[in-house]
Amino acid sequence: MSNWSFDSPLRTLSDEEKIRKDEKLWEDDNLGGVHEDNNPVPAPVVWLVALTVVTAFAITFPLWGQRPTAALYEPYVNSMDKPEVLAAKDDKEAMAKIVEMNKGTPNDALLERHPLSMDDLRMIAPQIKALEAKGAHMHDFEVVGDQVVTANFEGNYRPDGSRIRQQPWWDKGYTIDVFYLSYFFLAVFTMIKRLPPTSWQPKHDH
Amino acid sequence: MFKYLFARSEDIPEGSAAVYFGFSAITWFVIGTGLGAFNASKLAFPDFVTGLEFVSFGHMRQVHVHAVIFGWISMAFAMAMMYMTSALGNTKLWSEKLGIWNAFLWNVGLSLGLTLLWSGMTSGREYSDFPWFIDLYIATFMTIPLGINVWMTVINRKTQGIYTTNWFFASAVFMVSIVFIVGNLPEWFHLTGLTEAYLTWWFAHNVLGLWITPVAAAIAYYTIPKVTGNPLYSHRIGHLHFWSVVVFYSTPAAHHLMSAPLPEWLKSFASVEGVLILVPAVAFVSNILLTMQGKWNMFVENLEIRFTVTGCLMAIPLNMQGGFQQTRAINWYIHGTGWIVAHAHLALLGFSTFLEAAAVYLGLQTLMKRKLYSLTLGNLHFWFLLIGFTTYWVSMTIAGLIQGAGKIYEVPYIDVVMAEHPYMIARWIGGSLVFVGNCFWLYNMWMTARAGTVIPEGRMAHELAYER
Amino acid sequence: MVNFREYKIGARFFGLALGGSMTITLFMPSFDLRNVNATEVALDKQLWAGHESGFSLDDPFLTGEHRPVRVTLKTDPKTGQPMASTVAYVYPAGTPLPNGVDHPDNLGNIVEQLSRDKGRIGEATKSQGAVFLLSSEPQGDGSKQFYIENASATKGWNPEEVMKAAGDENTYHASYGKAIFVREGCWWCHTLLPEETQDWQVFGAPPMLGDFNGESPTAFGSDRKAPDILHVGSRNSSREWMMLHFFNPRLVQPHSIMPRFDYLWGPIDDKGQKIDFDKWRAEYNEYVDGKRVTPPEVPMYASNSDARALIDFVLSLK
Repeated sequence: MSNWSFDSPLRTLSDEEKIRKDEKLWEDDNLGGVHEDNNPVPAPVVWLVALTVVTAFAITFPLWGQRPTAALYEPYVNSMDKPEVLAAKDDKEAMAKIVEMNKGTPNDALLERHPLSMDDLRMIAPQIKALEAKGAHMHDFEVVGDQVVTANFEGNYRPDGSRIRQQPWWDKGYTIDVFYLSYFFLAVFTMIKRLPPTSWQPKHDH
Repeated sequence: MFKYLFARSEDIPEGSAAVYFGFSAITWFVIGTGLGAFNASKLAFPDFVTGLEFVSFGHMRQVHVHAVIFGWISMAFAMAMMYMTSALGNTKLWSEKLGIWNAFLWNVGLSLGLTLLWSGMTSGREYSDFPWFIDLYIATFMTIPLGINVWMTVINRKTQGIYTTNWFFASAVFMVSIVFIVGNLPEWFHLTGLTEAYLTWWFAHNVLGLWITPVAAAIAYYTIPKVTGNPLYSHRIGHLHFWSVVVFYSTPAAHHLMSAPLPEWLKSFASVEGVLILVPAVAFVSNILLTMQGKWNMFVENLEIRFTVTGCLMAIPLNMQGGFQQTRAINWYIHGTGWIVAHAHLALLGFSTFLEAAAVYLGLQTLMKRKLYSLTLGNLHFWFLLIGFTTYWVSMTIAGLIQGAGKIYEVPYIDVVMAEHPYMIARWIGGSLVFVGNCFWLYNMWMTARAGTVIPEGRMAHELAYER
Repeated sequence: MVNFREYKIGARFFGLALGGSMTITLFMPSFDLRNVNATEVALDKQLWAGHESGFSLDDPFLTGEHRPVRVTLKTDPKTGQPMASTVAYVYPAGTPLPNGVDHPDNLGNIVEQLSRDKGRIGEATKSQGAVFLLSSEPQGDGSKQFYIENASATKGWNPEEVMKAAGDENTYHASYGKAIFVREGCWWCHTLLPEETQDWQVFGAPPMLGDFNGESPTAFGSDRKAPDILHVGSRNSSREWMMLHFFNPRLVQPHSIMPRFDYLWGPIDDKGQKIDFDKWRAEYNEYVDGKRVTPPEVPMYASNSDARALIDFVLSLK
């Protein structure tokens, strides 16, 4: 065992004669007139694979395309009773004021993409207030036109057993991925290390 | 060919099964793309041939899909397996007779299945549209006999090693049988609801991932070294490719249902795995392109190499699309649009068809010992396919982006239909070019069999000069 | 023999890899998908759609054989007395029973329990036929828990009486219609799955996890070339519009690329007269060319035609 090397595990466990025989067999094996070289996996390929793994997680998170939730319009509903909104001469001005009041939050882009009219707001306001009164998780509800309905995402569970109806940033799917990938790369790494050394090449000079 | 069905095995000339499969594949390709072009014409001009049940779009769409997948692509695969597996093992095909019967029953089953589909007898499940008794037939008389022949040939090989192509062949025929049996569980046991929907897409995904993609790549692993004479660049990359196909390509089924209320954890898992299909893609493309070193002149001069390398290059955009379009961040925009249709054609008509066409060209010339009848027709075939496909792909991708925008901005649907109209016409023109190219091909191969220059023993087709 | 080509180890690893993949993608989700309680939507859908909408031995050519109907009752089928409008799902003798009645465990624990105990679905048989109702039980929090009630057992209603009491005008051949929907490949363009993006403001709310129990095939469709129609009955409930649109979509939407489904009318109209399709098409062409001011009249479909069933189905998509 003293000569054993991690880089070529099988070779350092075998005697010289066997290695020579194996090498001859490998290099002479003619597969229907097709030969295989035994070049190492090129570094750019390794880097691309690593990049793929990082990207795979990064781009799978819910980055874009989110639908408007009840939580998004909750501040709008709460602004409806403000005196300056009530003083507005028409719905258009009232809505403009509500939008102005609620600027400067992380939701600006989403709100801009999903504008509401004062009529829409009047329709959803009582529904959102009812949810508030129940103490519901506002992110679990989505606004569809004039209705506020339960979102259909089947996300993680809360401790009380109810479902988080949002696209998750982490769940057991990602955890399984981490383990699955680790096993794969461990197995492939081990296997490549057990392959014949890269110095064995078929004699393809004829 | 029919006379060999009841001949003694030793009386059947070597390669008969492959030739039978090869010509059947080309014929199905002509039929399948003809139907495709006809379907496309109906999307562009809805009143062209109308009011008849058997030429209505809804009756023909699935016939087109199954004619190209099970007729053209899968029979071309079987053809490649019939001659490559034995060549790579320095041996003969285990049973030429089983191969002939396999090809015969394949044509019979597919004709029957497609006729029933055409008449409207369908399970209503995309990609597993065949009623369950046809699925049973496909498993019993098509994929399993093919698998037995491939496995027995590999087992009886005269070489010590098994070449990369044969790992893929042996595992893919095994996996496709499993996929057929498990993927049709909803029909065997009448499973319903989301289980049915999920298994439908598990089947659809894995037929592509564990059958079409690996076998197409395996074919390139044979064609390129064989024709160029270069050894395959790296056995190790081959390993990375093979194992990542099995591990990563078999898992992302749920990413086809990103809009359905499946558990989010399943979508998270599937999406990450879905991006990881880039691992086998990187391995495959790098291995093939590195094998081409020093022989790039053949990309221009040699028809088989041109087909194979073009197909291989198409694997790059194919997997970039396939990897990323299914993620949460992107899927919401393009899901269910023409973008996906373009992507599916990039996979089947771009990537895999170009690799198989090379295998069929190479195999038929080698086995019939006849050089290709006309290089001009061969070149025309290549360019008709490439230009036709590109027209199709570009127009459908644009149409898909229009549809996506229409979806997000809630444009009335009829405006989307009107905006897509020019691209539907382009789609029809592209599909028609592919069809015409394939007609040239069938004629060319038929004439090769009848009037091709005889290839002397021990020479390869491309070593001979063209006479026309 | 040398051992650097380790095919035995490779084969085992291959089995491990494929088995592992199938464990995660098939075995693990099965825990999430089984025991989901069927919602009201799912129960309604499986009761009107019946056992199977694709190929089955009961209706191999998808021509509407052995299919249940949905009826609206205004009078009690036993006594003939007027009663509050009630929806019933009629399975004439020989009609395969809906999935949740055949396999109550697919309904989810709560619905299964109620349907078995209160709904007496265990007593329904294919050979005798049955009439089902979508019933509900009030819950503590004010919501309702829906379950399947076998009215043949609980009320003694038999299929023929119920069909007779309802009359043809209150009968919906939605199950037959869904078979036509599958057969004619409507789902290649019209998806049945509003997406998790904003398009559901146009096409309605996307479905929930429990909305599918017992439905086969779900026929979501993947390639949307036309509006999603999961909730089309809520947007447009005009029979007349549907009739014109199926006969020739360009009559009501000049830019539509939908095929004409005039062949679903069959050879005769509702009065038993032969429909002259050639004449209709010739006159329509004249209309398109500007030689006629109005398009020709669309014939009324016969009450047992494919067209009627398909319209019944589309109007059932609420």
